[in-house]
Parts: sequence; structure tokens; C-alpha cells
Amino acid sequence: MKKPSKILIAIITVAVTLISTLAYEQYAGSQKSIIMLATTTSTYDSGLLDYLMPIFQSKFNAEVRIISVGTGQAIETAKRGDADLILVHSRQLELEFVNSTYGIHRVGVMYNDFVIIGPISDPAGINGLRSAAEAFRRIAEEGAEGNAQFISRADKSGTHMLELSIWKKVGLTSLKKTQTWYIEAGAGMGTVLRMANEKKAYTLTDRATWLSFKNQLADLRVLVEGDVVLLNPYAIILVNPERYPQRNYKGALMLAKWMMSEEGQNLIANFKKEGEPLFKPIARNIELAHMLGFPEQENELAWYDAQNP
Amino acid sequence: MPKVEVQNLSKEYAGRQVLKDVTFSVQSGELFVLVGPNGAGKTTLLRILDLLDEPTSGKILFDGEIVNYSAKNKAALRRKIGMVFQQTVLFNMSVFDNVAYPLKVRNESERNIEQKVKKTLELVQLNGFERKNALALSGGEAQRVAIAQALVIEPELLLLDEPTANLDPRNVSIVEEVLSYVNRERKTTIVMTTHNMFQAENLADRLAFLNEGKIELMGTFQEIFGKLSGPIKSFARMENVFHGSSKITAEGTSIVDIGSGLQIEAAFNEVGNVTLHVPPEDIILSVRPLISSARNTFEGKITQISDMGHVVKLKVDVGANKNFTVQITKRSFNEMQLNIDSKVYIAFKASSVQVNYHLT
Amino acid sequence: MFKDAFWQEILNITLLSLRVSGMAVLIGALIGIPVGALLGLKQFKGKRTVMRFVDIMLKSIINTFMGLPPVVVGLTVYLLLTASGPLGWLGILYTPTAMIITQLIMVVPIIIGVTMSAVGSVEKSIREKALSLGATETQAAWLVLREARMGVLTSIIAAFGAAISEVGGIMITGGNIRWWTRTLTTAIVIETELGNFTMALTLGAILLSMAFIINLALTIVQVKEARR
Repeated sequence: MKKPSKILIAIITVAVTLISTLAYEQYAGSQKSIIMLATTTSTYDSGLLDYLMPIFQSKFNAEVRIISVGTGQAIETAKRGDADLILVHSRQLELEFVNSTYGIHRVGVMYNDFVIIGPISDPAGINGLRSAAEAFRRIAEEGAEGNAQFISRADKSGTHMLELSIWKKVGLTSLKKTQTWYIEAGAGMGTVLRMANEKKAYTLTDRATWLSFKNQLADLRVLVEGDVVLLNPYAIILVNPERYPQRNYKGALMLAKWMMSEEGQNLIANFKKEGEPLFKPIARNIELAHMLGFPEQENELAWYDAQNP
Repeated sequence: MPKVEVQNLSKEYAGRQVLKDVTFSVQSGELFVLVGPNGAGKTTLLRILDLLDEPTSGKILFDGEIVNYSAKNKAALRRKIGMVFQQTVLFNMSVFDNVAYPLKVRNESERNIEQKVKKTLELVQLNGFERKNALALSGGEAQRVAIAQALVIEPELLLLDEPTANLDPRNVSIVEEVLSYVNRERKTTIVMTTHNMFQAENLADRLAFLNEGKIELMGTFQEIFGKLSGPIKSFARMENVFHGSSKITAEGTSIVDIGSGLQIEAAFNEVGNVTLHVPPEDIILSVRPLISSARNTFEGKITQISDMGHVVKLKVDVGANKNFTVQITKRSFNEMQLNIDSKVYIAFKASSVQVNYHLT
Repeated sequence: MFKDAFWQEILNITLLSLRVSGMAVLIGALIGIPVGALLGLKQFKGKRTVMRFVDIMLKSIINTFMGLPPVVVGLTVYLLLTASGPLGWLGILYTPTAMIITQLIMVVPIIIGVTMSAVGSVEKSIREKALSLGATETQAAWLVLREARMGVLTSIIAAFGAAISEVGGIMITGGNIRWWTRTLTTAIVIETELGNFTMALTLGAILLSMAFIINLALTIVQVKEARR
């Protein structure tokens, strides 16, 4: 019968295809230095990395593969040995990562910021305040009078956590039960912004999302910005090569060094959305870096500058 | 010399005794028919003869040799046996390839295959169907392909399980012709089962009545006809049997006067004395006068109701001392709310009427 | 209307989707069809209770695996392939190969299950018929497989349909890396998140038309079968 030979031919065809594909993958991979960067969705979603990486890649003949996940998962990915460096924003987790020898040379790269937005009428009168806490206090006061409303993400996101820490400074820790002016949305930033527009309410948002949605939100505007508590600093940490010898340490160092170079820092400063910059570089602004939680910034910067991968 | 001998054969299936101490032998060149109701064990017996199942006890002899169930022996014996299953199973390939399959597995040469397939398809009157996909055939054609598959190897023993069940009269007569031909001309030994008493009588050298796994009667039709009684008579289709004289009509059908002024129209061409049979399940029953294309309609009343499980058999008195047995489903029976003495109308087609003119 | 880069990326994403799912189904068929055929042919319906038990367990296990949640498969493969995992030395996490493995695990039970039932449904009648026509057990087995071929084809199409629309598993093991491990489904997720609805909808339309083609093929096979 002819059938067995037909099947044999099919098996051979498939096997050849399979092996050649895998071989191609290996070959294609060996041509370039492949750098695995684990980062948070916020940096990736802003489009910053899609703007920066092609420039780096063509200059250094490298390929940067970006895993964008939550901050906690990005650090976990590196801990498992699946990344070469991380770009994240959670001071506590970062320090743990370095202290338990998973990572080395934590350095501040840039920050983005949060803004308090609210209705143009501004019933709480917070426009132009320098202190986020003071703004929150006034919103709470007017809210209790029935003149203002605040919408919370209430989804345990980074933004929500920041919001809660500001309420804590004002002395308000259990808001939901008694205050009707405090609305818990349990939704993403875009949805919350639209709700704030409908209800003429205040809320806290990151600037990137605000800029994306601004055109649809005719009744809202930025009222408070620039307070240090509203700044969100990003750190680069290299994965410890002694712990993970199989990782591309050289490539990671190359990328980190470039991000902190004059060129990298200028590119970050020039990245704009709707004509406004989203990230501000801090690698070479030692004073600001100290303020944002990088006490060793000048030493680390010097170390990076001295490296020659 | 006996071709097949079955000795004290018993078969148990899932705790049920399907065959009980069955003993018979079939002579070389004989056409042996097993008759019996559903569940009598006919199919099981044929499967055991085709070596697809092993008996629980008892033995089978082929050409005087006891069958042993080693794979090798089974394969060797099966190559001499052709089997036609009750449910027509054909392969998803052309009619030619279906019929050629038994030859291919015997590694016959292409030329031999070509010749034998051609000859066999002519025998079952399917020449010209070679290229058609076997699964696209009508029921009758498919059954003839299945018979061709069994015949193409010119088997010494041919087993057929209800080969004409559910076939229209034209296909029934082709199949019956083929079976008589191979039995007569090729001296092929045939063992077949049937529900149809008339077919058994027409074809069989000898027949056996199988009921509840036991052979109740065996012999030539003449030998056993008088002994038929009770349940055997029922499953042997001895209901709705009428005698009369037949005349051919202008339309080419026959009108049979069955006495007392009752006439049955039948789709055959016979003159003179005939015996008719109308299958109980071919009769339509209604509580209102029927408007139907069926040529035979009678009015009557129910005189007997027998509940047979999922079907109900009714005896309908149409007057003049003539009764029809009608089989309907339990569901229709319940829907029509029938009782003894209910007035009913019955109808059946001229083509449902079976004839046996040898029986008088 | 659109920039070249836009279409270039869509092409890249579509081709990767086809490659990953196609490869998973191809390898899945190489494993699944013989296993499914063997299980379908080898009826564990012996008289003994042990055999019946084996049969029931086997079928339940295969049916369970046919409905494996992709994220669970993804997580498991991730833990195996991660650098600190038992297969970390392969270094294939966050590559198309890892995605192929993930989908392979999902499609193999589908192919086994559907093939098994397709073969099983014709096994008894075809095998007995072939044997009674004089075939050997091996010849009969080949014929059973041949007769079950439409069912086997169905299993492959069904597996491909499941693979191409799967997102949870390859998101975890592929990492959704742009130009590298981003498929139609994972791209739709991220583009929606980013509010790039034009891109998301275009990708969705491509995915939808693929699903349509797959279902069209399935329906044609079924209609052909029904006509017989």
C-alpha cells in the first residue's frame, strides 16, 4: 500500500521545516547582541522606548527585546534570570532587589509626574497650589460641604497607591464609608478621566494619560503640578553578572550607559506627546536625583561613565 | 460433505445468553436460511461463522476441521468467506476501489483485479458505476456493492445478514437473482438471515427458525410449514396472508380477488392463483378516511391490541371474515387513542404487496 | 492613508502568528494524530473492569486537557523555561520557540481527542468489514485511518483555530516583544491598552478573517461529509 510512504514524506517535510526554522532563529539571534529589558507598562505604553530603542539599536548593532509588565513582575522576571536589566519605578522593591544581590548599580534615569486635575470652575480653589497635600485637604473640605467630588481609581494601581499616600498625609485614611463625595471607580485611568469630566470632579492622573485624553475632556484642566510627591522617578538596575553569568551583561551595560549619556538624556527630554514632554532626565542632575531617592547618584554615574563595554 | 458444522454452540454477551446450544450443519453448495425475530441471535450466529466473535462454548468445523482462533488460522479461513453485514458499510472511495479492496489485500495482480471487479459489477448490475464514490450511492446500490465486495473473491462460503431488508422491490429481486445465480452456477455455499418468509421459501434449500437463541424448527419449507404456530408464525410473516386469483389490469398492475368481494391491487404481473403477503409495518392506519396515493384502502374496526414494547400490533377486521394485522408505533397508538372496536381506516401501496405463487 | 511602517508591522505580526500557530499545529499533528489514532484503534473496551477503568480515565484526562486554560499552560511553560527553571539552560524563554511549545501543549490534546473520536467512530464497523473481506489487522488499521481522514482534518483545523486566537499563554511565554514575539492577539491587547484603535481594529479584522477562513474550511468538510 502507498499510504505509509506518503506519511513518511510528510513527516520528513515537517521535520526539515522545523529544524530549518529553529536553525534560522539561532542564526538570526547570533548576529546581534540581544538585550532583554524588563520594564513597567507605564514606560512602555508611553511610547518612549519605541522612540529610543531604534536609535540605540542602529548605533550599537544590538536588538533590545522589551518585556513590559507590572513593576513587581518586571523585578521578578530579572530575579529569575530572564532579563539583562530593568527599568522600573518602585523605590522599595528596587532597594530590596539590590540589597539581596540580584542587581547592581541602581541609578536614576528620569522621572515623569502626576498632576491633579479638576473642573475649570475649581470649587475647591486649588489652582496653582504647590502642595498636593494642601490641594487634597481643600478638596476634602469642600467635599464635606457638598461642593466638590473626587474620583479614585480604587484599583490598587501605582496611581491609586500614590493617591492613598497623599490622603494619609492629610490624615484621611478610611474614606469610602462616610464620604459621599469620594467616588471609588475601580477602573482604568481613561475611564476615570471621562467620569471626572462628566461629574465635574477632581482626580489624580499621570501626565501621559492626561495628554492622550485631554482633547476629549473639555471641562477639565491641570490644577496642581510640580510637588515632589507627584514626581515618579525611574531607576535602571543591571542584573548581577556574578549571579547570572549567562545573561548579556555587556549589552545591558551598553544600554544603561547610553541611556545616561548626554545623547540618551537629551533624547528623553525631547520625547513629547501633544507638544509636552512626558519624562524629564535626572541622570546628570545630581541634586534632583538626590531629592528623588538616589543618594549615590554621582558615584554610580561616575562608575557608568568609567565603564567601556 | 458438510461445508460448515455448528455443534452445541452457545454465546453469552454481557451476561445474556444470546445463543443456546445451537447445532446444525450446512452442506457444500447448499443455501441455508435462518429466520427469526429481532434479537433471536441471527446476527451473532453469522458473526461467529465469520470468526468475528468467538463462541462461549461449542465448536465450529469448516470442511471437517475444527476452527481454532489463532490469528493466523482466522485470517486464512476468512479469506475463503464472504460476509455481507446487515448495516451496509462501504469505504469512502470509488465503487471500483471498494470492490477491488478484498483483492488488493490478497495481493492480486492489477490485471486480475480489473477483470474480477468488472465481472462482479456486471453480476450485481452496477457496471458503469466504477468511478462513483461509494458513499454517494442509494441504499439498494450500496447494498449491491457490499454484495459485490463479498463475491469478488469467489468465496466458498457466503454469509449474508438480512441482505434485502429496507430495499425496494427492484433491488430485492436483483439481490435474490444474484444469490440464486452464485448458488446454482458457482456452487457457493450460502448462509443468510431474513425476516421475509417468502424470500426464505423462494431461495432456501433448507431453513431454520431461530427464536431466543434456540433453533426451534429446521428443515425444508414443506417439512416445516405445517408446524408453524404462535410466535413463530408471527415473526415468520405469516400474518396478512391472503389467497386469491389474480388478473392483470390495463395499468399493468394486478387485481387479486381474495374472496367476499374484497380486492387487493398489487404491483406485479401474475394471472391465476396467488398467495399474497402485506407486511404489517407497511400498512398506514388512521381514524379518519384516508386520502392517499395508496391503491388499497379498507375500513374496519379493531378486534385485538397487542402491546409489543415500542410498537403495537392491531388486528383490524375489514369485514367478510378478513383481518389485517397492522403495526404502528406506541406513540401513534397513544396519540390516536385507539381501543377495541375503534373504527379505523387502513391503506397500503400496491408495491407493498408481496407475492408467492408457489405456495398454495 | 497609512504609513509604510504601519503595514510592515502588521505584516510582521500576521506572519509571526501564522508561523507560531502553524508550527504548533504541524508538530502537534505529528504527535497527536499517531497517538489519537492508536488510542482510537486500541479500544480499551475489554471485558475486564481494569480496561474499562483505563478507558474512562484516559478519555477524562484527554477531555480535561482539551480544555486547558491557556494562561495555566503559559504559566507552566514559563516556569519550565525561565532561566532559573529546569529547562532554563535552553535559553528560549521570550522567543517564538517558547510560544510554539506553549501552543503545542494546547493543541496536542485537541488533535488527540478529535482524532481519537473520529477513528473510534469508524473503528468497529470499518475494521470488521475489512477483516471479513480478508484484510490483515494492519491492513484493517490503515483502512480505519483512511476512513477517519475527514475527522483528522477537522482536528487539525480546530487546533489551528484554537491556536491562532489564543492570547493568554503566548503573552506569558513570548513576552509580547515588538517585532519579535508579538502576534495578532497579543498586539490587539496592547494596542487597545494604548488606545491605538486603528491598529487594534485592523489586527482584529485580520484575525476575524482568518477565523472565517478556518470555519469556512471546516464547514466545507462537514457539508461534504453530510452529503455522503
